[in-house]
Amino acid sequence: MSERVVVNLKLNGARRTFEVAPGRRLLDLLREDAGLTGTKEGCSAGECGACVVLLDGAPVTSCLVLAASADGHEVVTVEGLQQSGSLHPFQEALVTHGGVQCGFCTPGLAVTGAAALARSPGDAEERARLLAGNLCRCTGYVKVLEALERASSEEADHDTRRERAHFEEAPGHDPLGGHHERPDARAKVSGSTRYVADLAVPGMLHAAVAVAPVASACVVGLSLATARAIDGVEAVITAADLPGKNLVGVIFEDQPLLALERVRMVGERLALVAARSPESAWAAAHLVHADLEPLPAVHDPIQALAPDAPRVHDAGNLIRTFRVVRGHTACARASVVVEAEYRVGGQEHAYLEPQGCLAIPEGRQHITIVASCQCPFYVQQAVARVLGLSLAAVRVEQAPTGGGFGGKEDYPSELAACAAVLAFATDRPVRFVLPRELDMQVSSKRHAMVIRHRWGADRNGHLRFAEVETVLDAGAYIGISTVVAERANVSSIGPYHVPAVRVTTRVAYTNNLFGGAFRGFGAPQVTWAAEATMDRLARACALDPLEFRRRNLLDDRRRRTCTGQSVRRPVLARECLDRAAALAGWDEFHARTRHQDGPAREGMGIGLVLYGCNLHHGGQHLDRSSAVVILQSDGSVVVRVGLTEMGQGNLAACQTIAAQALGVDPAQVQVWQPDTTTVADSGPTVASRGAHASGMAILNAVERLRKRIDPLAAELLGCDERDVLLAGGFASARGDPDRRVPIARLAGEMASRRIEGISTGWYRSTERRFDAATGVGDPYEFYAIACHVAQVTVDAELGLVRVVEVSAAHDVGRVIHRDVLEGQIQGGVVQGIGWGTSEELKLDRGRLANPSFTDYIIPTSADVPRIRIAVVESEGPGGPFGAKGIGEPSLIPTAAAVRNAVVDALGIEIDRLPITPPAIVAALSDRHPFAWVAEEEKAHGRTEEPAAGR
Amino acid sequence: MDVPVQQVIRPTTVAEALAVLAGRPDSRPIAGGTDLMVQLRDGRKRVSCVVDLGGLGLAGIRQIDGGVEIGASTRMDSIAADDGVRRHFPALAAAAGTVGAWPIQCRATLGGNLANASPAADTAPALLVAEALLTVVSAAGTRRLSVVDFFLGPGRSALAPGELLVSVFLPLVQIPPDCRLVERFVKTGPRLEQVISVVSLAGRAAVRTDGALESVRLALGSVAPTPVRAQRAETVVTGRRPDPVARREAVQALQHDIAPIDDVRAPARYRRIAAAVLLDRFLQEAARV
Ligand SMILES: Cc1cc2nc3c(=O)[nH]c(=O)nc-3n(C[C@H](O)[C@H](O)[C@H](O)COP(=O)(O)OP(=O)(O)OC[C@H]3O[C@@H](n4cnc5c(N)ncnc54)[C@H](O)[C@@H]3O)c2cc1C
Ligand code: FES
Ligand code: FES
Repeated sequence: MSERVVVNLKLNGARRTFEVAPGRRLLDLLREDAGLTGTKEGCSAGECGACVVLLDGAPVTSCLVLAASADGHEVVTVEGLQQSGSLHPFQEALVTHGGVQCGFCTPGLAVTGAAALARSPGDAEERARLLAGNLCRCTGYVKVLEALERASSEEADHDTRRERAHFEEAPGHDPLGGHHERPDARAKVSGSTRYVADLAVPGMLHAAVAVAPVASACVVGLSLATARAIDGVEAVITAADLPGKNLVGVIFEDQPLLALERVRMVGERLALVAARSPESAWAAAHLVHADLEPLPAVHDPIQALAPDAPRVHDAGNLIRTFRVVRGHTACARASVVVEAEYRVGGQEHAYLEPQGCLAIPEGRQHITIVASCQCPFYVQQAVARVLGLSLAAVRVEQAPTGGGFGGKEDYPSELAACAAVLAFATDRPVRFVLPRELDMQVSSKRHAMVIRHRWGADRNGHLRFAEVETVLDAGAYIGISTVVAERANVSSIGPYHVPAVRVTTRVAYTNNLFGGAFRGFGAPQVTWAAEATMDRLARACALDPLEFRRRNLLDDRRRRTCTGQSVRRPVLARECLDRAAALAGWDEFHARTRHQDGPAREGMGIGLVLYGCNLHHGGQHLDRSSAVVILQSDGSVVVRVGLTEMGQGNLAACQTIAAQALGVDPAQVQVWQPDTTTVADSGPTVASRGAHASGMAILNAVERLRKRIDPLAAELLGCDERDVLLAGGFASARGDPDRRVPIARLAGEMASRRIEGISTGWYRSTERRFDAATGVGDPYEFYAIACHVAQVTVDAELGLVRVVEVSAAHDVGRVIHRDVLEGQIQGGVVQGIGWGTSEELKLDRGRLANPSFTDYIIPTSADVPRIRIAVVESEGPGGPFGAKGIGEPSLIPTAAAVRNAVVDALGIEIDRLPITPPAIVAALSDRHPFAWVAEEEKAHGRTEEPAAGR
Repeated sequence: MDVPVQQVIRPTTVAEALAVLAGRPDSRPIAGGTDLMVQLRDGRKRVSCVVDLGGLGLAGIRQIDGGVEIGASTRMDSIAADDGVRRHFPALAAAAGTVGAWPIQCRATLGGNLANASPAADTAPALLVAEALLTVVSAAGTRRLSVVDFFLGPGRSALAPGELLVSVFLPLVQIPPDCRLVERFVKTGPRLEQVISVVSLAGRAAVRTDGALESVRLALGSVAPTPVRAQRAETVVTGRRPDPVARREAVQALQHDIAPIDDVRAPARYRRIAAAVLLDRFLQEAARV
């Protein structure tokens, strides 16, 4: 047992003394010993900034500071930023500027920003540099930087770089389309929102997992004795110890919770540990010794489909084939035909909050799971299955969730299942939070795809046919890969009119990390390919890419999609293209001579997407949702929905929708995080369906509630029930606005008369017809269209891509909440840039070789382009008040636009994503002015030692 | 999670620190901890006792006779902001300002950057072109060595167990008559900020009025097992104007100064090409300024 050290701190202004273990980090002292959980842990390695605190006034990553080293010093945490109860000006600006989404990065960001303000933060570039150590995956930093600028000076140097989109003020100050404060922003910015890792219950144990280090092996044996002997360990369990089924697959039953005899991927779970401290739990997990006999593995999806490939599962590696066959591509006459093969890489979600959950057992009869997740109902099903319980015995509460992007769709079920079996095994609460590198190593990823194209156009630049053959790398387990493939399949040709289409999309098992949901769900990859081919064809037809697209876009006359579905009017593809091109100054850019400053090359490119809103026909059975609305006696409103907030703004959207429908101020509406015991199964929060599905259910609940509100209001107003209007906090009589009663009074009256003030609401999407065999029919209810135009500067020698500006035009139907909408677009654009240019999953025989924020490169605040937004509203099909989803369309076209801009700049084709500096230099091949130096390498021996490292 | 150390010692004098380090082979100094904490956590380093250098007063920048002395525990943010360093050793100031991001710079020390001996250590090329002298103390006494002799391999330096780096001395440049000085540090990597160098280069050139290079020093990071001086390239361009022919020859010679490998951050081929680009640009700039 090691000695303890005494640490004296001036902590947020007060003198405090702690006695801690010598290896205690300042971060743990603050969070565990001082109870200040506002400071977050996102990476434990100094890379993310979530743990930043002020040490003697300077921002430092508290995960890298020994508590003992802080002895005698002054520490200020996010909790100490507030002065006499009010937020620090930067915190306040983050709230009012919409700079807070999931909030997990926010406390660290607030601290760094406060420190920047204290030392005069300089110009825009300097401000972006100062914040570059605080990664944020949600906001795209735009509003964060705006907030810092706003807070930094009264005479803010009107920096037009990051201008805000301008909307018309909504008439009559309706909540709809407004930019009122997000309901979750204040708590998040002040550090008081409690994420899973901030929750502790008495007697709680900590979970850890032992995973396979190799991608394909036979499990000969597991030795657990040394792990069990670690002090503090309460349970070490393997497949043999599970009370229910050893299964976690969401759709297919191909994945065990714990491996039995076969390892199919790196990170396959072998054993679970519960211990009294995380240190003991992970120490024990590392001591689980697995005797593994290597088996052949396959790591390329194309090779996996070869007849002699090693089989990942006994039934072979081809999981499914999806098709669209419409018209005869073979007979289609085209004078220009292009062929290409695209290799599109995957993506790590890199949400700032690692996966985590807390399982609280009650006897061995019930269990409560508090989880960072997108889909509490999936978690509920998974836990019930492994424990052998009924669904009703499993309660899942969604914890505030620090980003998801699809990464918390299916994986949290696995984590919760682990925590749940440990909780039942020990009869103690168990918290399971993944360390960052393991999170990156084992959680699902955006699918890598190989996409082959053969597309043809006639002499006038009209598309004649499109053939697409795609193979998805599903990894070792299906998860939801087939659902991703289903969307990829029907999204393969973009918003273009093509008379003959043949698409084949195959899903292959490999021994790689498993693919899962990720913002866009298969559409970004095929969009990237489609837009690349559109540019190739434009060049082949000697047409401007903008003009070529104009000739082929769907419009109100030619409305048939890839699958032959008629897009409902108005079809706003042309509008989006023109608006984005105008914002980008496409014509001006092409009219002027390009700057050729040494090796810097300018380029501009277009990407478009036709996004099928909500779930595909194949998931139609899940497309329903539930809501509960309670009018309280003081006129405030409780809303419960089954779709989750993970940063994207669902709480704000639901709040706005309920406030609009009930005519109350949004601040009167409290939307609570989902809990499976309060609403019925509402399906997953995916496919940009959050605001749609929950909003529609809320509207239905309000409609039902009004059957009770309106008669009472009519009585008080002395008007007809049908003439009751609810708006601006009052019930009034139609045509006589002076005759009105406050809704609060109405609510009080309802309560005193014991009129039921609660109502449920339900939504289900309309039935559609779709022929899965031919891929023809109506896969989606309605569509949203978006166009992004990217302007880049490429350093043609170093291969560095700088995205200077992205102009984004979005057909959104109706704006529900402006800041949320803009935040989604900005965040999507920046995430798309990351995927397109720097985020590379480097797999070494199935193992992720770069599972850290140091080597998996997501954008920082210094990489943010100017983002111009055009919002195209329309009266058309859509969800609540005509709104369409924005979460995914915001990301999908960006990487494609960037790719086309880079190709434009360099004059070479690039068929691999991401377009990293080495990828550009490789693509330039002999055209690189220094290509010859690489030959020198051959003349020289290689060293065995690594040339880099930190 | 706690890092697995059993003891933290916080000496207040160098002598005390040296005594501990000498007496306990399982001990190791910690300065900002931005390298060591990461390595302790992931098990790359196992140390049971850490000796915190924070109380030794080793931080500070002093102008002394003939140069600038920087204490080993001086933080990157102080180095980047120091007027004297910026004026006389702009490459070092620039390098310090690119280590990690701001919150890292507020902890990371110069001594730690050197002692960690990463081939990617950003201050190393700048110190190599400055031909900095390091002062190292141990229970046995004080020694001075040139930074040129300091790096032995990835993670390996000339520091013996029990030795402490206490300061770094940068001799002021003697600018030859009729010359102007050009000194730069550049690094390249996959993003603009908070990035480990895929290749870094520091260059210092005294340029005559006729544009010829009176003297040149070049050093690179991340292209060999240690940060390296590019002496072959230096020799090729010294005394010449950096015209296209000279630059090409320098780039060619450079390939023999470096020995990059493929790793997770970049392939060797890219590193060779990027090193060539950085050198070519430095020489062009020297010709232009
Ligand atoms: C997110 C992140 C980003 C980073 N980015 C960069 C970057 O861009 N460029 C870069 O160069 N580095 C980078 N680093 C690495 C690191 O920050 C630097 O190397 C830093 O200068 C190390 O200094 P330190 O004081 O923190 O060292 P410590 O971690 O305290 O020590 C490092 C090593 O040096 C030894 N040591 C420290 N001081 C002395 C001394 N006086 N005498 C003898 N031995 C000593 C320690 O025992 C230890 O082995 C990064 C680190 C992180 C976490
Ligand atoms: S947790 Fe400390 S920087 Fe990420
Ligand atoms: S709001 Fe920044 S990571 Fe989510």
